[in-house]
Amino acid sequence: MHPASWIGWVLAVMVVALATTNPFYLSLLLLAVVLVAVLAPREGAGVVSFRALAVFGVVMFALSLGIAAINGNYGDHILFTLPGPRVPEWLGGLRLGGPVSAEGFAAAAIRGLAILCILFAYGVFNGAVSPHRVLRSTPAALFQASLVVTVGLTLLPSSVEDLRRVREMRALRGAPGGLRELPALVVPAIVGGLERSLRLAEAMEARGYGASPPLPARARLAAAASAPLLIAAAWLWFYEADWRLPALGLFGAALALLALWWRAASRVRPVTRFEQERLPAAERAGLAVAAALAVGALGLRLTGAGAMDYNPFAGLPVPGFELLPALIAVASAWPAVLLIARPAPAPAASPEARLAPERAP
Amino acid sequence: MTALASLQGVTYTYPGAPGPALEDAALDLEPGAFALVAGPSASGKSTLLRVFNGLVPQFHGGTISGSARVAGLDPFATPARRMALAVGMVFQEPEAQAVAETVQDEIVFGMEQQAVPPAEMRRRLERVLAELGIGHLRSRRLATLSGGERQRVAIAAVLALEPQLLVLDEPTSQLDGDGADAVLAAVEGLHRRGDLAIILAEHRLERLLHRVDAVVAVEGGRVAAAPPGEAAQTLRSVPPAVELARRLGADPVPLTVDGVRAALAGRLPAASPRVHPSPGEELLRAEGLTVAYGPVEALRGVSLSLREGELVALVGPNGSGKTTLFRALTGLVEPARGGVRFGRAPAPRSPRERTRHAGLVPQDPALALYQEQVAAEIAETLRHRGLPRGRAEVEAAACAWGIAELLGRDPRDLSVGQQQRVAIAAMLAHGPRAWLMDEPTRGMDGPAKAWLAARLRDHAAAGGAAIVATHDIEAAALFATRVVGLRAGEVVFDLPAREAFAADGPLPTQVARLVPGAVTLDEVVLPCAA
Repeated sequence: MHPASWIGWVLAVMVVALATTNPFYLSLLLLAVVLVAVLAPREGAGVVSFRALAVFGVVMFALSLGIAAINGNYGDHILFTLPGPRVPEWLGGLRLGGPVSAEGFAAAAIRGLAILCILFAYGVFNGAVSPHRVLRSTPAALFQASLVVTVGLTLLPSSVEDLRRVREMRALRGAPGGLRELPALVVPAIVGGLERSLRLAEAMEARGYGASPPLPARARLAAAASAPLLIAAAWLWFYEADWRLPALGLFGAALALLALWWRAASRVRPVTRFEQERLPAAERAGLAVAAALAVGALGLRLTGAGAMDYNPFAGLPVPGFELLPALIAVASAWPAVLLIARPAPAPAASPEARLAPERAP
Repeated sequence: MTALASLQGVTYTYPGAPGPALEDAALDLEPGAFALVAGPSASGKSTLLRVFNGLVPQFHGGTISGSARVAGLDPFATPARRMALAVGMVFQEPEAQAVAETVQDEIVFGMEQQAVPPAEMRRRLERVLAELGIGHLRSRRLATLSGGERQRVAIAAVLALEPQLLVLDEPTSQLDGDGADAVLAAVEGLHRRGDLAIILAEHRLERLLHRVDAVVAVEGGRVAAAPPGEAAQTLRSVPPAVELARRLGADPVPLTVDGVRAALAGRLPAASPRVHPSPGEELLRAEGLTVAYGPVEALRGVSLSLREGELVALVGPNGSGKTTLFRALTGLVEPARGGVRFGRAPAPRSPRERTRHAGLVPQDPALALYQEQVAAEIAETLRHRGLPRGRAEVEAAACAWGIAELLGRDPRDLSVGQQQRVAIAAMLAHGPRAWLMDEPTRGMDGPAKAWLAARLRDHAAAGGAAIVATHDIEAAALFATRVVGLRAGEVVFDLPAREAFAADGPLPTQVARLVPGAVTLDEVVLPCAA
C-alpha cells in the first residue's frame, strides 16, 4: 500500500479511538487493527519493531490498570481495599491505596484500549512503510523537515551499534560493568554519534542538499501571522458565542496565509521525482472510507448519538450498542481488503543479504 | 588550455586552530586530469580537497585567503547546490554519505533535488550504473552491500550530476583489499573516459603512481605538485619497490615493480634475511573452533597455536572469520565446538579473565576513549586490572608505547593517528603476554605502520606474542614471523613468514618479487655508496 494510504488509516483509527469511550466499539476497533496487523507486510525496515511497540502497548495497558488500583477510586462496586497512608486533604485529594472499585478498573481499561488501538496502528504503519518511502512521497514544502527526520532515524541503528561496541571494549579492558559504568558507555557513544552526524551533514552539503535557499520574506511573514490568527479564531469560537461568524472569517484568513506559505515553500527548491509512487484507485477509495469513518465517528460523538460516550462511574451500567458505530469500528479494517487482494509479494531479499558475515553478533 | 580548477595562494585556518591547515597552496588541474594527493595523516590532504567544492570554508568556517576558481565558479562564495553540479565529492566512510534506502534511490536522489527531468534521469542512471559496474545492484538495499560496493554507489551518485571534477578523499581507507581494488579500478575506468578531471587522496600509491598525471605532495599544510616520476624522488613515503630503486640510485625512478626490475636488471642487490628467534613455550592454543551465527558457520574447525616470540599475521578477505576468531579466543562468543587453552590449562570462561592474558584490540579502538586525559585512560585500565596505577606505572606504560609526551593531553584534541596509538596503549596497558589486534593498520599511514611494527617486535623480543589481523601485506611483512590465511572460516595456510611472503608464496611482497630471499627493505644489502 502507498504510504499516504497508511497514514490515512492511522489517522482515521486515531480519530475513532479518541471519539468513543464505549468498550464494545473500542474492542471491535482493536480487533480490526489486529486483523490489519496480521495481514500487513513487515519486511520493510521499520525504525522500531512492531513487536517492541506491541509489547510497549500491552505494558502501558497493564500499567494504567495498576495505577487505577493504587491510586484509589470512587465508585460503588468496591472489589477490595488496599492498605495505604492517609494523605492530608490539603495535598489536593491525592489518594494512595484505599478501596479499589470495579468502575475505576473499567475506566482504566477503556483508556488503555484506546491507547492500544493507536499504538498498534502506528506499529503496523511503522513496520509496513520505511521512512525513506514516506520521504519520497512527502510534499515539497515539507521536504526539508522530513529529510532531517529520516536521516536522523537512519543514524539511530548505528548509534545503538556504537553503544554495543563501546560496552564490549570496556569489558576487554577489564571494566566491571554495572550502573557506575554508564557515563563511560554513553559519553563515547554520543560523541561518536555526533561526529557521524557531522560527517553525514558534510557529505549532504557536498552533494548539494544541505540547506535550502531562504523563503521570500512575504511567505515567512504569512506563516508567522497564521498562528495568532488561528489562536484568535479558536478563542472566539469557543468562548464568545456571538462572535462565531468573525471567528470563521479569521480561520479562513489563517488558512489562506498557510496556503500562501505552502505554495512558496513548494517552489523555493524545484525538484523532480524519478518514480513517484502512484495512488491506485482502490487505495483512493480506501482513503475516502477512512475520511468517512473519521467524520462519522466525530459526528456521532458531537451529536451524542450512537452510545459513543460511556461513563462507568454512573453505576457501572451495561454499555450501549448500536449498529452504525459498530460498523464504523469494523470498517476500520479496510486495509485488510486491499492487503488480501494485492498481488503476490516480491521475492525476499537476495541471498547475500541474509549471509551477513563477521559482524553478525 | 585553461585550467578547470585553479587555486592561488590559498591559506586556510580552521576555527579555533592555532596554525593554518593550508599555507599558500597553489594548484592547477586541467580538464581530464588525474591527480593523486599524497602525504602523511593530518598533513592537510582532506582540507585541500575540500577547498575544491567550497566545504572549506563554507561548511567548516574558519578564515581563508587567496583565490580559487573551479569550473568558472568561486567555491568560497557559490552555494553548495550549485557547486554540486560542477564538483562531485566522495568521502572515506561509505556509511556516512548515503541518504536513501536502495541503490537506485540513492543515485537519483541528487538529480531529483536538482530538478533533472525524469527522462534525463533515467538516461543518466543507466549510464552511471554501467560505468561503475553496479547495474546488478540497482534494486539492492544499501545496508546489504559490502564497503567496496557502497563506495562505487557513492561515486555513481555524485557522477549522476555530471560534474567536471571528481574529488575522492581516501575512498578505500575503510575497505578490504578486494573492495579497494574494485573501487580503484572503477576510478581508473572513469579516467579513461577522458573528459572528467579526478583528484584523489590515497595511501595505496603502488596502485596509482604510474597511472596518474600528477602527484600533489602535501606536508604540514604545504602543497607541491609534480609529475609522478619527479614526485617518486621526493615523496617521504613511497611503495617499497620504488624506495628500493631510489636507494639504489635509479634515475629516473621507475614507478612499478616491473619497472624497477627492468631498470635494475643485472644489478639487483643481495639479500640478508632476518633471522627470527625460534619461538618459546606455547601461550595460547585454539582447538577445532567452530562458531555459528544462526545457520551461518563463521568459523569451521579452526586450530591455531601461538608461542612466545611469535608474531602471527592473520590474513583473509572480509567475512573470512578473522574477527570471529578473535571473539572466540577472548570468550566474547561461545564456540559451538572446540576450545581454547592458555599454556597448559583450559582458558578461563569470562572475557575479563581471558583478556588479562590475551588482550584484544578491536577495530577502531579510539571509539572507547572518554577520559579527559591520556594518563587517566591508561590508569583506568590498570585500575580495572587491580594493578598499581601511580605516576611511575602510568609513565612506564606510556613510554613502552612511545606516547609519553601525550600523557597530559585530552584524547579528543589529538590527531586521528595519535588517538589510535593512545587507544591501543590503553587497551593493552595491563601488559598481557599475548596481543590480539583486529585490523590495527586500517587508516594508518606509513610512519604509523612502522611504529606499530616496532612495538610488536619489542613485545616479541621480551617474550610476548601477537596475532594481528590485517589486509596490508607490506605492513604485515614488517613484523610477522608467521602468516595464517583464513578463507570462509577455515585455515587455508599456516606458513613461516619467509615462505608466505616469498615470490612464489601466497602473498609475495614487492621486495620479494625483486630480490630473492628478502621480504622487506631491511633485508636487502645496499651498496655502501648508496
